[in-house]
This record gives sequence, structure tokens and C-alpha cells, in this order.
Amino acid sequence: MSSNDSIGKILKVAFALCIVCSVIVSTAAVVLKPSQEANKSLDRKRNILQAAGMLQPGVSVDEQFSVVEERFVDMRTGRFTDEVASGYDQRAAAKDPGQSRDVPGEEDIAKIGRQANIAQIYMVRGDGGDFEKIILPVHGYGLWSTLYGFLALEADGNTVAGLGFYEHKETPGLGGEVDNPRWKAVWPGKQVYRDGEVSLKLLKGTVDPASRDADWEVDGLAGATLTSRGVTNLITYWLGEDGFAPFLANLRNGDA
Amino acid sequence: MDAVKDTLTTPIFKNNPIALQILGICSALAVTSSLQVTLVMCIALTSVTAFSNLFISLIRKHIPGSIRIIVQMTIIASLVILVDEVLKAVAYDISKQLSVFVGLIITNCIVMGRAEAYAMKNPPVDSFFDGIGNGLGYSVVLIFVAVIRELFGAGKLFGFEILPLVTEGGWYNPNGLLLLPPSAFFLIGLFIWMLRAWDAKQVEEPDFRMAKHTVAEEGA
Amino acid sequence: MALRKLLDGVEHHFQEGGRYANFYPLFEAVDTIFYKPSSVTRSTAHVRDGVDLKRIMITVWLAAFPAMFYGMYNLGYQANEVFAVTGGSVDGWRGALISLFGGYDSGNIWHNLWFGALYFVPIYAVTFAVGGFWEVLFAIKRGHEINEGFFVTSILFALVCPPDLPLWQAALGISFGIVIGKEVFGGTGKNFLNPALTGRAFLYFAYPAQLSGDAVWTAVDGYSGATPLGLVAAEGMTALQTQYTWLDAFIGQIPGSIGETSTLMVMIGGAILLLTRIASWRVVAGVFLGMFVFSSFLNLVGSDSNPAFAMPWFWHLVVGGFAFGMFFMATDPVSAAMTDTGRWAYGILIGVMTVLIRVINPAFPEGIMLAILFANLFAPLFDHFVVQSNIKRRLARVQ
Repeated sequence: MSSNDSIGKILKVAFALCIVCSVIVSTAAVVLKPSQEANKSLDRKRNILQAAGMLQPGVSVDEQFSVVEERFVDMRTGRFTDEVASGYDQRAAAKDPGQSRDVPGEEDIAKIGRQANIAQIYMVRGDGGDFEKIILPVHGYGLWSTLYGFLALEADGNTVAGLGFYEHKETPGLGGEVDNPRWKAVWPGKQVYRDGEVSLKLLKGTVDPASRDADWEVDGLAGATLTSRGVTNLITYWLGEDGFAPFLANLRNGDA
Repeated sequence: MDAVKDTLTTPIFKNNPIALQILGICSALAVTSSLQVTLVMCIALTSVTAFSNLFISLIRKHIPGSIRIIVQMTIIASLVILVDEVLKAVAYDISKQLSVFVGLIITNCIVMGRAEAYAMKNPPVDSFFDGIGNGLGYSVVLIFVAVIRELFGAGKLFGFEILPLVTEGGWYNPNGLLLLPPSAFFLIGLFIWMLRAWDAKQVEEPDFRMAKHTVAEEGA
Repeated sequence: MALRKLLDGVEHHFQEGGRYANFYPLFEAVDTIFYKPSSVTRSTAHVRDGVDLKRIMITVWLAAFPAMFYGMYNLGYQANEVFAVTGGSVDGWRGALISLFGGYDSGNIWHNLWFGALYFVPIYAVTFAVGGFWEVLFAIKRGHEINEGFFVTSILFALVCPPDLPLWQAALGISFGIVIGKEVFGGTGKNFLNPALTGRAFLYFAYPAQLSGDAVWTAVDGYSGATPLGLVAAEGMTALQTQYTWLDAFIGQIPGSIGETSTLMVMIGGAILLLTRIASWRVVAGVFLGMFVFSSFLNLVGSDSNPAFAMPWFWHLVVGGFAFGMFFMATDPVSAAMTDTGRWAYGILIGVMTVLIRVINPAFPEGIMLAILFANLFAPLFDHFVVQSNIKRRLARVQ
């Protein structure tokens, strides 16, 4: 027994164990890295397509994504920019003071804290080669958590093509209903701007289809007042003057 | 062969790590809201327990007593990282849902407990089966919880619709409590209750007994 | 006396060794409903009070009646007011019974009461039947007597439910309340949570879209609005005051759960409980004090973004389930604190927590239910400290 507890033995066992374990772990990490990376980018593409309401089951995600082009928008000028490092991540940039700005409290209706200077957006090309849809990243605070998602607009920059969230921690059954396909299906066709103002909002209750405002209104989530308000706020923010409004205006004028 | 069968089956009902030893509860609460995720978690935990038992048992005669816990932890941690990397490569969606709970297998008391209590004293093959058995014991409880939670909480099993939901045009009104982690407490409690009703030997000794009611003699 | 004879005649079947010995608790329950038990105290210890568990429970049950009858009336009144505007009516068996024995005139007391009864009575009946089933099952399995605590649990549970609660949900809720809230801990006297509230909380979390308390509960399909508390949280006190007056809320002319709307009627029942000393006045006073102090404090602090900060104490008292919770739920002698000082602390904790949840938590408009359950958990701890400090004080005297 004593031989096992001698200092030499302890060191020997510890050393051997560390070598064996670290070799195994690092081999696994290196060998599996490519397929992990592939999974990650596939997951992101799927989220984007899903949010835009373009995801078709049965067709490979990569194939569907081939019509989508990644572009970068400088939020300060509202124009496209190419001055980004490869592998740029908007969510990481929003946390870096060098690449983002602090949103002052009164402007910060979506409670995002910091906004990245450069946004990663996606342009969807139609069959003829023209841009058909624009997919914009949006996020904002709901009841318990920040909701991260994508909002897809038609080429006019005003009609909604789809909205979806890929990450949130709202109450299942209440705020969690933002994932409900029936609710998401009411978004396409809604209008964002009226007289230059973002007017799209969630109601408390259901929309009266006969109302003159029905194009700018979406059914609220039953029992989830604060999540509904959060969604309204994040749309108001991201499509407003601090968000993508200048860019969309430039895009419409062919000046982006 | 009987001995192997015993080591395999005893931990399932007779000496269940969750129901009798009340170990490994936190992952049981966190990952059981969908059956698919639960199954992956069960497989991950079972394989980690089995292989950590196997490796620790293989080198048990060389492990110095003074650093044995660290040695066990190193082996378990390496296995967990391995499992985590494999999951990320093969089943990315599920590994995203399991998030930190795969990593937390390291701290799962079942794994450490079996390594310390069994693998350090028994030969490799027995230890391996003991790990599988305990993993199965864990899995039985988790699957029981997950089936109830997913079926009645979301109307689905493995993501396939079983009970069409009211919000999606069906008739079933889902029970939202089951989607929240605390519901797993109640379900594990009910499981333990059923188990102990079936096998009364598992009922714990009461902490104290009430004294019998005594009647004094009239006039005393 | 024929009944006495009949009962005596069959009694031996239920005695030990008899054919139906398992069902003794049922026999005993029937027997003691009609006759007082034949067992008398034989030892020297002698309690000189006629009050026993049965009488306590039946008093509480009766004390809930004013709130219950008014609740039924108000339920009908609120619905008929809406019908008077929209001109609708109720379909199905309820509609048939309404046209047979009542009508839709909101000025007619009988019409309103009948309307309300058609919604409340089924909920109560289901609660009673399902809860009773569990009660009898456990009594038989465990060999204890069926006790009347269940009368109280069932009526309190039914009174805090919204009137449009589906009956299967009522059954599920009371099952959870009785089994998980009470029987798993050993039955009446050993439960540390209030069973009626446990059942209600279960429904609250299980079916939040229907039951979380931000939409109003009326018996009219397709009619919805914000509850007073939801209104304050969203739009502030002025919005509330334009819709309801304080007197309306006090008397109970507001929509809400069946038994909770009328603070006045709850107070009448509460007075009975306090006078008979079934409810501890210290608990009631503690709840009120905690609510009063904390809501006044929040009034002083104020908030730009949260209008509910400005809600004064007298509004807190009359909206939501505050009064009902204070008199009927918090005072449950089993789950409340047992020592006098402990009761104060327990009550104050409930009052403060209620206001805290109502005002500051964004997700839950109503807070008294969660506050009471929370304080239930602390009650034994309060008692422990009170008893310990008592022991310490007396020990010091000895030394």
C-alpha cells in the first residue's frame, strides 16, 4: 500500500493521467472541429431562413441559403460597408465598446443597452437577380429575457415578410407563444411605416380586420402583456431612426 | 452471469440513484421538458458513468489514496468533454438545448458516487456494468418524467404531435406547469411514492415516533 | 330515532373484524353528521370548550356564505349588464335553465343569483365530489377519520376560481391541492401549505393564459377586459378610477373571481371568524399592517415607469383577492404560525409580499395567493424563533 502513496508514485500517476487525458481531449477537439463549425453555420442559416419564413422542409439548408447574401450596414451612416473583419459577429460586437455605442436610456425603448455600429443583414435575391427581401437582425427585452430574432421585409422596405425569434426565455405558453406558427403567420403583409413613423404594433387582444388600422396591427399574445409590449418596442426601435430607418430610406433611393 | 444481471438491474428499481439515493436531481429538473433531449442526456450520462467506472477500476490498484478524488475527477471530466464535443459535432440542436447540463455531468453525484463507492473496489467488467446499471436507473426516472412533461405539457412525444393543442386548432389544453422545471420535483416525488408503495423496504425510518396516547387512571 | 337504530344496527359491520371494516371512516362520517360522538373524555385532562374541529370547520364554511351568495349575484349582475348592451344570451344547458327559471334582467336579484348559481354550483359540486373522493380514499387507506377540513378547503377553492373555469380544471386543481398540498404530508394538521391555495396555484401556473389574472373573468363569451389590478399596472390609478369607484370595489360591483369581489361581504364573514376566535386577529392585523405600511412606502417613493407604485392602501384592500386572502386563507390555523409573535410576523410578511408582487413583479398582477403560500413556508421558522427566544428568556430567569 505504502508504495502507492509514495511521492514518486503520486507524481508518476498524476503525470501519466494528465498526459493521457489531455491527448484524448485535444484529439477529439481537433478532429471534431470542422463538423462543429459546419453545424454552427448551418444552425445560423436555418434561423435566418426560418425567421424570414422561407424555410422549406426537405430541401437542404445550404441550397436554400444560396439566394441569400450577407451584407454589412454601418448603422451610423445607414449605408453598406465592407470594412469588417471576417467572422464578424454582431452580438459579440455589441458588447465591445470599441465597436458599439451606448444607447442612452430615453432612446433605449427596446432595452438593449449597447448597439453594434455595424449590423449584419441578409439580402435575398429573386430569380431575376433583383433583391426581393431584406432580413434584419432585431433584438429587445421582453418579460424575462432578451429576444433575439430576424425581421424580414419585402423589397419596398415597408411590408413585413416574416418575423421569428431564435433565442428567448419567455414563459412557455404565454410569452413563449412568439414561437407559435399560427401567430407568426399573421405577420406577413403587415405594414411598418405610416407617414414616416413606425406604426406597426401589437394590440391587446385580437385585431379587427375591418379596422382601417388593421394593416399596422398584429394580435397580441394572450396573457403576455409584457412580452407583447417588448416585441412592439423592439420593432419600433430597430425600424426607427436609431435602427434601420436611415438605411431603408437610402436603399429605397438607391443610395445605399 | 447472475452477478452481472444483478449489478445491472438492482440500480433500476431496488436501489435507484435518483429515487432512493436522491442523487443527480438538478439535471433531472432541467433537461426533462422534451423526451428527445432527455434520451440524449441519459445516453451521455450512462456512457460517462460506465466508462469512468471502467477506467477507474482498471487503474484502481495504482491510484494513490491521497489524490484519488482528483484522479477520478480528471477521468470523468475528460470523458464529459469528449461527450460534449461529440454531441456538438453530431447532434448540434440537442447539444444546444442541453447547454451546460452536459458539462455538469462532471458534478453529477451519481458518476462520482459510483466511481468512489464501486469502481475503486471492484474489477473492471463488474464496474462497467454497474455504471450502465446506474445510468439506466437514472434514465428510467428521467424518461418517466420526460414522457409526462412533454406529453401533457406540450402535447407531443419526440416532437411529434400526440394531443393536438388548442392554440394550434386542436382540443388539448396544455398544462404549462409541466414545462417549468419545478414540475419535475412533483413527478419525481410521485415516482418515489409509487416505488416505495411497491417496495416498502425503501421507506426510510421516521426521524421520531409519536408517543402513544396514555389514559390516566380516574382519580389518580 | 329510526336513523339511530339503523346506524347502530349496521355499526358492527364497520367495526374491526366486520365485513366493511375498511370503510369505517365513511360510517363514522355519516354517524357524526347526525349525532354527536358517543366517546367522552375519561381522563383527568379536560377541555372545557365545546369547540372541536368539526364545529370550527363548519363555522368557517358558514362564514364563507355571504361572500358566496353575493359572488353568485354579482356574477349574474356583471354578465347581465353586458348582455343588456350586446343583447346576447347563454347557450346550452345553462341557457335553457336560465330561460326556464330566470332571465337576463340585471335589475332582478333572482335573475342575477340564478345566473351566478348556474356557474358557481357546478364548479363547487365538482370540487366537492373530486376532493371528497381523495379525502375518503386516503381516510380508508390510512385508517383515519374523514374530517370536515375538507368542507372548508372545497368552498375556499371554489370561491377563488374564475367563474368560467372549465370543470375538468377544477377537478385537477382540487386534486393537486388535496393530494400534494395536504395528504402527502399526512393529512389535516400536518400540511404546511394551505391546500385550497395550493390547488389554485397549480391552476395558475398550469393554465396561465386563462388564469393568471390579467384578463377579466365574466361568464360572457368573447367579452374581455383588464382586471382592476391589471389596469393599474398597465395604465395607472386614473384609468382604474374612471372605470370603477372605490365604493363599487368595496361592495363588490366589479368582475372577478366568485368569492373575492365584495370586500364588504368578506368582512362580514371575517367578523364571524374573528368573533368566534377561529381566525387569529393577529394574523389579520399583521397582513393589513404589512400591506398598509409597504404600499404607503411605495406611494412615497413613487415611480415614473411603474404606475402601480401610486396605488394607495385603501385600493389595495378592495381590489383583487386581498380581503378574501386576509380573512379566509391567511388565517388557516394549520398552515399559519402558531405563536402570537409568530402570527404578527407571518401576517406582516404576507402583507408586504402581496404589495411587492402586485406592484413590482411585472408578470403577476395579483399577489396575495403567492404571498400566503410563501409565508406558509416561513410560519414554522417564525414559530421556531419565538419558541427559542422564549426558552432563552426563561432560562435566564432560572440562572
